[in-house]
Amino acid sequence: MRHAITLRIGPATFRIGSAWSQPIAQLRRLYAAYPDVDGAIADFTVRLQPTSLLRRFLRPSIFITGDHGLADAAPMSLAHGLLAAEMGMNLQMALGWRRHLLLHASSVEKNGRVLVMTGESGSGKSTLAALLGERGWRFMGDEFALLDLQSGAILPFPRLVSLKNQAIGVVADAVGDARMGPLLAATAKGDIRHMMPRADAVARMDQGGMPALLLFPRFGHEAAVRELGQGEIFMRLTQASTNYVTLGEPAFAGLTRFVTAVPARAIDFPSGEAAFAMVDRLWEELA
Amino acid sequence: MDATPRYRRDSSDAVASCTLDDLVLLYHRRSGQTHMVISPVPEILAQMADGAALSAGDVHDRLARDFDLGPQDEAMVEIAAHLDALVALGLVRRT
Repeated sequence: MRHAITLRIGPATFRIGSAWSQPIAQLRRLYAAYPDVDGAIADFTVRLQPTSLLRRFLRPSIFITGDHGLADAAPMSLAHGLLAAEMGMNLQMALGWRRHLLLHASSVEKNGRVLVMTGESGSGKSTLAALLGERGWRFMGDEFALLDLQSGAILPFPRLVSLKNQAIGVVADAVGDARMGPLLAATAKGDIRHMMPRADAVARMDQGGMPALLLFPRFGHEAAVRELGQGEIFMRLTQASTNYVTLGEPAFAGLTRFVTAVPARAIDFPSGEAAFAMVDRLWEELA
Repeated sequence: MDATPRYRRDSSDAVASCTLDDLVLLYHRRSGQTHMVISPVPEILAQMADGAALSAGDVHDRLARDFDLGPQDEAMVEIAAHLDALVALGLVRRT
């Protein structure tokens, strides 16, 4: 491809190629603090290519593909090229990663112990992880938590944090504009802006930690804490994993070990402040 | 001719199990599927662990040694239904 960059995020290396220079230039700026792995053999290839030859120039339209592709992935506008690259990396991980059990979850660490937060898109798990990362926790990832099936540790995957709609302003106020990417307006998921993790979180992206608390956050509801049965937790985590079935019995053993060892709660919260107080209290009580 | 269906667990149908609160997870190695079951399914499977071909009545009698099953007719109907469900899942074979 005409333009390319190789990035390592946690244990995974990606080579992203693009027919256009703009998405690669944006990645180069936003991933400047990450290790320089130019020339390394990548685990995954992501390709941003025109939907047709003409569409490289005329109303440029991006088709995301790579080692693993989705047949019905909708083409995106070049203005959203950065998002296309990020989605492409997520897609390769979700469909192709085999070294760890992948949980669709955010994670932060304190004193070597990890808080894992899982939930649907819009649950607030990304925003919460991003903001906790500015409040004394180490940010480990907002999209995937990697469960090591041998040791039981959670490993970081600290990509850029993808923030949507009202979360953008909240986080931009907390971290400052210099750590924010360009505003990608009116994407299929609404407005999106990326946040760069703190440099220390990137520098420590090879250090995992043992999980000490699992939360199922839900933003936009009156404050409440609910206990969950282990069966429900197990079921929700298998649904939150893209490779549980593929990894077979080691995944069964690793996930049941996680569920029986790690205390868990569902938390509803109306605001960030309410969530911080709940997280602090539950961490104190349970972790 | 004996028309009573008999059921058995084959050694190749071995499962890894894990108890979570009041339910039991079974990882079926041959299919790679994880099943979530509740009582009396784990108890029924445990009675069949020796691989013997058993009728629903045999399973009932084995269970009755450890559990109070209530009226035999009702318990038999329930056990037979569970055995057929387990056949459908591939955890038990009908012989």
